[in-house]
Amino acid sequence: MALQNLGEGRSRPSFSRYFGMSRSAMASPATFMALMAPGVAIVAAFFLIPLVLVAMEVTNGPDGWATYLVILTNARYFESLVQTLLMSAGVTVVALILCGIVGMFLVRNRFSGRSVLIGLLTLPLSFPGTVVGFMVIMLAGRQGAVGSISNALIGEKTVFAYEIAGLFIGYLYFSIPRVILAVMASAEKLDPQLEEAARSLGAPRWRVVRDVILPGLMPGLVSSGAICFATAMGAFGTAFTLATDIDVLPMVIYTEFTRNANIAVAAALSIALGLITWLCLSAVRFLVGEKADLAARGGA
Amino acid sequence: MNATAMAQPGSQTVQTEKPGGTRIELAGCTKTFPDGTRALLPFDLTINGGETLVLLGPSGCGKTTILRLIAGLEFPDAGGKITFGADDVTSQSIEKRRVGMVFQSYALFPNMTVAENVAYGLKVQKVERRERDERGRAMLEMMHIDMLADRRIDQLSGGQRQRVALARAIALRPRVLLLDEPLTALDAKLRVTLRTEINSLLRKLGITAIYVTHDQEEAMALGDRIVVMQKGAIAQIGTPREIYRAPRSPFVADFVGAGNRLDGRIEQNSLVLGDIKIGLDQIGHAVAGGPNGHHDGNAGQGVADVYFRADGLAICTPDQGQMRGRVEAISYLGEKSRLTVSGIGESVITLDVDPDFQIAIGDDIHCRFNPERLTVFSRYPDARDAAQTM
Amino acid sequence: MRRGWPFYAQLGLTVLLCLFIVVPIVMSALAGVTVNVFKGLSSGLTLRWIFEVWDLYAQSILLSLWLAVACLVVTTLAGVPLAYVLVRRPNRLTRMFEEILTLPVAIPGLALALALLITYGGFGSFRSSWVFILIGHVLFTMPFMVRSVAAVMSAMDMKTLEEGAASLGAGFWHRFLHVIVPNAMPGILAGALMVVTLSIGEFNLTWMLHTPLTKTLPVGLADSYASMRLEIGSAYTLIFFVLIMPLLIAMQMLANPGKKRRAASQPAEDE
Repeated sequence: MALQNLGEGRSRPSFSRYFGMSRSAMASPATFMALMAPGVAIVAAFFLIPLVLVAMEVTNGPDGWATYLVILTNARYFESLVQTLLMSAGVTVVALILCGIVGMFLVRNRFSGRSVLIGLLTLPLSFPGTVVGFMVIMLAGRQGAVGSISNALIGEKTVFAYEIAGLFIGYLYFSIPRVILAVMASAEKLDPQLEEAARSLGAPRWRVVRDVILPGLMPGLVSSGAICFATAMGAFGTAFTLATDIDVLPMVIYTEFTRNANIAVAAALSIALGLITWLCLSAVRFLVGEKADLAARGGA
Repeated sequence: MNATAMAQPGSQTVQTEKPGGTRIELAGCTKTFPDGTRALLPFDLTINGGETLVLLGPSGCGKTTILRLIAGLEFPDAGGKITFGADDVTSQSIEKRRVGMVFQSYALFPNMTVAENVAYGLKVQKVERRERDERGRAMLEMMHIDMLADRRIDQLSGGQRQRVALARAIALRPRVLLLDEPLTALDAKLRVTLRTEINSLLRKLGITAIYVTHDQEEAMALGDRIVVMQKGAIAQIGTPREIYRAPRSPFVADFVGAGNRLDGRIEQNSLVLGDIKIGLDQIGHAVAGGPNGHHDGNAGQGVADVYFRADGLAICTPDQGQMRGRVEAISYLGEKSRLTVSGIGESVITLDVDPDFQIAIGDDIHCRFNPERLTVFSRYPDARDAAQTM
Repeated sequence: MRRGWPFYAQLGLTVLLCLFIVVPIVMSALAGVTVNVFKGLSSGLTLRWIFEVWDLYAQSILLSLWLAVACLVVTTLAGVPLAYVLVRRPNRLTRMFEEILTLPVAIPGLALALALLITYGGFGSFRSSWVFILIGHVLFTMPFMVRSVAAVMSAMDMKTLEEGAASLGAGFWHRFLHVIVPNAMPGILAGALMVVTLSIGEFNLTWMLHTPLTKTLPVGLADSYASMRLEIGSAYTLIFFVLIMPLLIAMQMLANPGKKRRAASQPAEDE
């Protein structure tokens, strides 16, 4: 009470003058600053300053300022970047296709058990990457389900958990829940009258999909694709747990920092990686609006 | 007991069939939805070739369901049959039926230009590019929107979108044109303009058209015949004149704009309203109520609903008057003045007079009935009379 | 209803995808309670592995729970007032701050951890305390709390509420605590659920920041997987599932309150 009165410049509240004046219901600038203080302090001390220090740390590297570009100049890092990009892009495409079909199907058809299926498909949303890696081992490891099935069918155990296929499966595992939710949200906004109109003009099913449904879903597909790509690029836990040969960028950063104590390089690579993921998610926000990027992130 | 198209007096004498249009028949059709709701009770309906039939009714009455049955977006329950001319289309879905459909929200494809929208049906039919462009352009010219050919949909106004939707539907020369409340989303003035355009377009094309609306003015203006629907059943089919002048039930009378309503009684062969007695033979339209509330035949004894519009009452001098009322409010409407009068019947009645008529609030007003313009429904016959008329 | 082969083909694909997601979960849950994983269920069920996991990793489970609660408290105390300011004073400064606030979500957890280590790695006792990890969790989860609360607040017309309260004599803090916050509760609750779930499941950041004394549940999981003991890893994963499933289900229910109502009204044609 006292703080407010100070801000308003009054010594005691005067109700009749408050009534109808919008300015009086606003807290003073001092109050606003006090409200923001804790949040700003946390972000400044533990995010902004560290960011700056990281940027500066890069210049301590062997090449000085050129270290910023080490991701491009060094063959090994560049190869890792390319591998990560390809992996992420591949997972994104497969996830979009699978979830596009399944998402539309779930939105357009009502049947008993539908909500169970949706619930199951979105379970892994908050699994950490390491658990996803373990799931891959469960599926395709030495005691895995796929191995047992193939053993029964062709007498040979198929084990691919620790190869690139295993990593791909793992990335797919945490991508599917995100993409499916986004596709379903997008599909629910489609206007069924557009499809009826196309049908009334004689269009068979495949034409309706091509000319009406896909164009309608496109913004949702693009934004969920970008989120999927960004998440895959930054994923660490899955690759770490599976310890495959393939060196995705987060793993390279990790080994450079912890094993090789190559802090400057790790910092440079982190900045490059952070830039890529941030650009992806900014593009999403630009396309679709505020809520999409946060809604699908989290975990992995 | 249901009113069927065939049993309706009056509608068969009207020439609504035009050469070239497709005749549509629905026989024994019902519609029940998967969750059990009965959207349509059993009905038969014949739509003459070239006729514009309007389906009129409040929300939930089933009019859009009938339209969707004819379109092929829904299918009737087992036993129902739908024919277009000589073809049985009951099991054909919409892609094959060659209907043109105009939706309430226009349903224009946002990823295509106006020209591409209009030509879409032709593209699907694999018409050659040159012919496609020609026919598309001809359509746009007919609807007076050829200058919009390259615009995107979101740049169009509501009226323009509606014209594009019509052009797109007609481009394929469909057997029947189906319109689902196409003007509801537009503002009042635009609605009247487009209504006239649609009317002349339909006449010019000679195409069979089915038009769904809840607006009785639209129905009257456009329809060769009107089907008034109530809760999944057909309440009455007839020409606009028949519906307006000879509604067969209070529901139809109310829906089409009945004006005022009074409670009365029918005793012997007269309508009794307080002190006033009018011989039934003088009354323009009198209908009796059956045990389930349907009306046909002549009015029996008992309680009656009396409907009349502005021309049902004539203002006169005190000595000629049958009733006296008091003017509560006056609304000047340009072409006429609308008086709200109390004292006649239980609630207020509205009465239209010449705008220059000298009257003020609080004045007494004397009027007499114009029996020719009265519509009387006897509601519930007395139990004795029910036994007599059975 | 006509259901042709396209329906069943799509249904098949959907079920296949579901199996892909669910089978390993079920397998690991079973492996965690099976006596001999290699022999399968026929060897019987046991809680032995779970007890063993508790012996080995009780510390990490409790730390995760503690961190989740602490994270919730910090993000609520810092985030709710922040949300209020962002909604009440949408100017360039606050918008820019919101951008910065959300950056930790857009950047890989690894990079965030790196930044923290480079900056504070030298402060020995701070670096090896649980507070260090808490900071990381707060940075990552606060945007979710703020967004959730801000969404509810902006739908709320706070200005009118505040003016009403002010006209009755309430000062700012009184209004804030007794009018604004209670009305923002749905947003706070949804945000709380999100924060707790994210904190318990956070790995990328925590792995980089942890020390042998500050291991969280996911970190312990990674350890147990590396130990090559399938039963221990599975039992530990089972514990994780048991902790996180109720939270996920609660979030799903929060997101789809009207689903049943909507589905029921779908087929009824209105005209």
